[in-house]
Amino acid sequence: MSFIINFIRAVLDAMLELFSFGRKGISNKLPIFVKTNTGKQISLNLDPEWNISNVKRLVAPSLGISPDEVKIIFAGKELEDCTRISECDLGTQSVLHAVKSRSRSEIETKSKKCLETLFDDENVGDVPSKPLSSTLVDLQLKGEERRDSESNIKAKAHFFVHCPECKKLCRGKLRVRCNICKGGCFTVHRDPECWDDVLVPKKIQGHCESKEIACMSDEENGLPFAEFYFKCAEHGSGGEKDYAAPLTLIKMNLKKVPCLACGDISDPVLVFPCVAGHTSCLDCFKLYCISRLQERQFISHREFGYTLACPVNCENSFIQEIHHFKLLEKDYYDRYQQFGAEEFVLQSGGVLCPQPNCGMGILVDENCNRVHCQNGCNFVFCKICKQGYHIGDCLPESAISNNMSVSEFSVNPSRVAGARWDEASKIAIQVTTKPCPKCRTATERAGGCMHMACTRAGCNFEWCWICQTEWTRDCMAAHWFG
Amino acid sequence: MSGAANRRLQKELADMRASGLRSFRDIEVDDRNILIWSGSICPDNPPYSKGAFRIEIIFPAEYPFKPPKIAFKTKIYHPNIDEKGQVCLPIISAENWKPATKTDQVIQALVALVNEPEPEHPLRAELAEEYLKDRKKFMKNAEEFTRKHSEKRHD
Repeated sequence: MSFIINFIRAVLDAMLELFSFGRKGISNKLPIFVKTNTGKQISLNLDPEWNISNVKRLVAPSLGISPDEVKIIFAGKELEDCTRISECDLGTQSVLHAVKSRSRSEIETKSKKCLETLFDDENVGDVPSKPLSSTLVDLQLKGEERRDSESNIKAKAHFFVHCPECKKLCRGKLRVRCNICKGGCFTVHRDPECWDDVLVPKKIQGHCESKEIACMSDEENGLPFAEFYFKCAEHGSGGEKDYAAPLTLIKMNLKKVPCLACGDISDPVLVFPCVAGHTSCLDCFKLYCISRLQERQFISHREFGYTLACPVNCENSFIQEIHHFKLLEKDYYDRYQQFGAEEFVLQSGGVLCPQPNCGMGILVDENCNRVHCQNGCNFVFCKICKQGYHIGDCLPESAISNNMSVSEFSVNPSRVAGARWDEASKIAIQVTTKPCPKCRTATERAGGCMHMACTRAGCNFEWCWICQTEWTRDCMAAHWFG
Repeated sequence: MSGAANRRLQKELADMRASGLRSFRDIEVDDRNILIWSGSICPDNPPYSKGAFRIEIIFPAEYPFKPPKIAFKTKIYHPNIDEKGQVCLPIISAENWKPATKTDQVIQALVALVNEPEPEHPLRAELAEEYLKDRKKFMKNAEEFTRKHSEKRHD
């Protein structure tokens, strides 16, 4: 008798397994959250093989409506019933938005559209049902290139970000929210087609359903604008405040362009914003930054900050997004930040504290020569000679150092030995260098002619080694070669 | 040395050896240090066409973001090359240097300068003056100097 009962149970189980998704063994569980516009949040485990209609069926009871009335919104798009989860670019702990459809007719057109696409697989490119990042063929490519790349497996959009959590270059994903309520339950009216659409605010409008009453703006048609942002695609989503800075110059090397420096073809690459689009591999980009940084050849750009241009010196090729320099190792990035801050202080007429190991940037009063290192080491010094503050004219440099060694001799002989060493190098510097007549940077002449060009970024003053004034035709005639 | 400099120089060296430039021969590179190359310049134009001139190319560790330096190891009687073997070549000056410039372009520019001196930008003013004012004397002196100091050519 019991074997008959067992048999019937086995048959029933098999039938249930066939018909119910709930019982189906989930191989790659994808934990995600579903947010509703009533403030509820449901956590779900999805199977990448499911499609959106399965999600709707799971969510509908919590909303108290039928699955047909549920609308699933993700990354700026409403997802259609027949879209598969694996096509949606969802990551661990991504947030889907579920809201109630506003009208009956909307539901009908929706299910009709879904049927059409089922039978018309060839037009997949036009179906607006997939999320933003999937319908978006690479933003980096234009027109023809885009068509070429469609045959490529990598045709799916690839963005790169600097992720503050992974602390490295990561693949990124594009997300969108309402510019008024910052809610993610937002559908865009058109797909972004270029970086400007994404990076410049108020380019694309859309519908916001994050709250029960739709957001309205003051613009002519009252619709809110899409606000795009980027997230790291390599770690689980850390909620809606987990942003990453997009590195717009980093691209997939679909065209197999060799690096301008080492000649290797690598992937991804950095493409400089010059007309020629000079391309560098990431290793060579770092090397370029480090060699420029060590010579303080970064430029303080009025709009972009402390930055570099294309190594080929193309016009208008400054890197706008300075997060690209985050690709440098920490030590170099710290130095980049320090130099950038110093250059900013100097350019705004400030001074740097001369005390060893301080170097604090201080903005000074134009009419006062007494400078107090207020937020740093508390040293008080003279703006002109950078020695301890004094009344009256500055002393010549040699007199000051002599005074110092004499006064310290009786106090601490070992320190005097140190001071003599400094003295020796000071003399060496004085003998071998002359200051740039414009910015006072100590300059050594290693050989060649008398025509000097200051190498400090932003100075570039051309001067004569002999006259120590601006280089002239007379210098050329009288003592060009010594 | 950075990996980028190493990779790039390996590639340039292989290309250069494969192409076999007529005017730059006997390229020698130390296996342990690819940053120093040497080779012989063989100019086509008199008064230098009878000799070969050893040069050394020194690449900085930051290559190709900084230019290489060139020094003549063989003495040469030339307005643009000084007694120490230093040469002023615009293509490798810090202002003009482009990372995409290849070493064979640099060599070609150097050979062109040896063949056609530029007395307007001299390193040796007295030779520039002689070149401009008394070409015959210059040619005679340079030919004699070449015979005395330059290396043999194997062609």
